[in-house]
Amino acid sequence: MKVSELLEQRRQNWRELEQLCEGGPVRRWTAAATVARFGSLYRAACADLALADAYQLPPDTVQYLHRLVGRAHNQLYRTQPFNVAVWTEVLFVEAPQRIFRDGCVQLAFCIFWGAFLLSFFLALSKESFPHYAEEMLSTEEIEKLESNFSEPISGRDPTMNYAMAGFYIQHNTGIGFKCFASGLLVVPGIFICLYNAAFLGAAFGYMARPDVVEGANFFHFVTAHGPFELTAIVLAAGAGLRLGWSWIDTRGMTRLASLRQTAVECMPIIGAMMVLFFLAALIEGLLSPSSAPYSVKAAVAILSSGALMFYFVILGFPRGNEDATR
Amino acid sequence: MSDSTSQIDSTIEIVTPENIAFHYRVAGPFRRFPAFFVDMLVRWALVLVIGIACSAAGMVLGGAAIALLFVTYFVLEWFYGGLFETFMNGQTPGKWALGIRVLSLDGQPINGVQAVMRNVLRFADMMPLISLQVFGGPPYYVFPTFVLGLLTMTLSRHFQRFGDLVCGTIVVMEERYWLTGVARIEDQRARELAEYLPLDFRVSRSLARALAAYVDRRRFFSSDRRREVARHLAQPLLERFGFPEDTSYDLLLCALYHRTFVARHPGELPEPDAGGSPFLLAPAPAVVPSESGSTPASSP
Repeated sequence: MKVSELLEQRRQNWRELEQLCEGGPVRRWTAAATVARFGSLYRAACADLALADAYQLPPDTVQYLHRLVGRAHNQLYRTQPFNVAVWTEVLFVEAPQRIFRDGCVQLAFCIFWGAFLLSFFLALSKESFPHYAEEMLSTEEIEKLESNFSEPISGRDPTMNYAMAGFYIQHNTGIGFKCFASGLLVVPGIFICLYNAAFLGAAFGYMARPDVVEGANFFHFVTAHGPFELTAIVLAAGAGLRLGWSWIDTRGMTRLASLRQTAVECMPIIGAMMVLFFLAALIEGLLSPSSAPYSVKAAVAILSSGALMFYFVILGFPRGNEDATR
Repeated sequence: MSDSTSQIDSTIEIVTPENIAFHYRVAGPFRRFPAFFVDMLVRWALVLVIGIACSAAGMVLGGAAIALLFVTYFVLEWFYGGLFETFMNGQTPGKWALGIRVLSLDGQPINGVQAVMRNVLRFADMMPLISLQVFGGPPYYVFPTFVLGLLTMTLSRHFQRFGDLVCGTIVVMEERYWLTGVARIEDQRARELAEYLPLDFRVSRSLARALAAYVDRRRFFSSDRRREVARHLAQPLLERFGFPEDTSYDLLLCALYHRTFVARHPGELPEPDAGGSPFLLAPAPAVVPSESGSTPASSP
C-alpha cells in the first residue's frame, strides 16, 4: 500500500483523536462511549507511530504523530491528587519518628539554640559587650521593638486579633518555607537559620536587660506562642538541611536519586512544620495580645512544650521496625 | 526513528504502557519565563479580586475576613503552582497559555507531592536575591534574580531547575503539529519520468526518508541549490538506472518520490511489511486514484 493511500485511510482517525484532545481531558463524567473511543483511537495512533518506519511515513507525518500521541497520552493519564486519607498517619506516626531520628533536625536544633543562647547572653551582658545588641539588631530595630512593647499587654480589638493571626500564618509559615527551600543549597539554609537565631536571641537578650522597662511586656507577649514557633523554625531548617545534605552524602545512590528520595522523606517534616506554625499563629494572634494574666500564658507555654515533648519523644521513639537513617 | 535518541537535541523519548516510544520537546527557559510571568499576573489578579471581596465582607465579618485574606494570600504565594499542577494535570494557567506541561521524568503525570515540592523549592531557584539597596534604593524590596535556576537549567540535561531535579520532573512542550501529508508533485515531467523507473528497484527506508526530507524542503531552494543538494543522491541512481547523464537531478528525485509515496504502479510487487494496522478501526475508504496524488490536508 502506498503512503498516500495509507494517510488517506488514517487521516480520519487522527483527526477524530485530535478533536477529542481539543475537547479537554478525560474526566470521571466523560461519557463511557467517548472514553472507549478515545482509548481505541489512541491505541491505533500508537500502532501507526510504532509502524511509521515500516510504512515509510514522511518525517513530517512522523513528527505529527509524535505530537498527537503525546497530547492524547496526557489527556488519558492524569495526575494523582493528594491522598488525604493517609495525612493523619503521616502527621502522627511518620513525622515524629522521622524527626526523632533525623540527624539533620538534631543538628539544626543545636545550631539554632546554640546561636540563640549565645546571642542572648551577648546581648544581655551590658558590661562585657555593650555594643553587641545595637550591632546585631540595629538601632532602628531596637526603637521599633521598644515602641511596640511600651504599653502593657492589655488586650486589643478582637477584629485586629483575627487579622493578625492571619498575618502570622502568612508571614511566619512563609519564612519557614524559605528556610526549607534555601536549605537545599546548604550554605544559605544554615545562614538563614543562624541569622534568625542570632536576631531573636539578641532581641530576647536585650529585652531581658534589667534596665529595659519594656522587657516585661515583651515576655508577656512572646511566652505563649514561643515553643511552637521556635520549634517550627527548627524543623524547617532541619528539613532543609536534610535535603541539602542528601546531595553531599548520597548513601550510595547517585546525587539526583538521593535528592529525589529525600524530598519525599522530608514531606512529613514539612507538614509538621506547617501545623506548628499555624498553631503558633493562632496563639500569637488570639492569646498573646489578650489581657489574660501571665500565669495563663506561661501555662499555655508549658502545656505546648509538654505536647511537643509527647509528640517528638513518645510518638517519635523508634519502634525498631525501620533502620535509622542518619 | 531509533537513531534519534542519540541526537543532540531537546527531545526526550517516552515509552508508554502501550509500549510505544514517542518524543517530546523539552521546554527551555524562554518558554517557561513567560508562563511564570502569566502565572504571576493571574496570582495578582486573584489576590486583587479576593482582596476586594474580603474587604467587602470585612464590613460584616470584621477581622475574620482580613485573616481569610492573609491566609488566601499565603496559599496563593506558596501553593498556587502546586495546586494547579495537581488539579490541572501538570499545568498552571500560565503553562496552559504557553502550551507546556509538567511531567515526571518517565513521562507519566506528576503526583501531588511532586507538584507542591517543585513549587516550594522555586525559592531556591530564585537565588541570589538582590535588594534594591545595592542600587541605592530602599532596603525593603528584594528581587529574585533566578540565576541559580538558569544555571541548573543550563547544566542539566532536560532544562531542569532545582525544583525539577529534586522532584524528578520535566517541563515539556505540548504543541500542535500540522499534518501535511504527502507532497504533490506538480511537475508533469516528473510523473512521466516515474513511469520509466525500473520496476525491480526497491526504495530502502533510509532512502525513502531522505527523499521525503528533500521533497518537503526543495521549494525553499533555488534551482542551483537543488542541483547541488540532489546530486549526491541522484548521480549514482542515474548510473544505476542507465539514464542519460543530463537528466535533471531534481526531477529524478521527484520522480522517485512520486513512485514511492504516491503513484500506484500496476505491475508492482506488494510490499510485505507495510499494510493495514491491526488496530485499524474505520473501514478503509475508497482508494484515491493514483494519478491525482494526495492533497495536503491542511497547511500550516
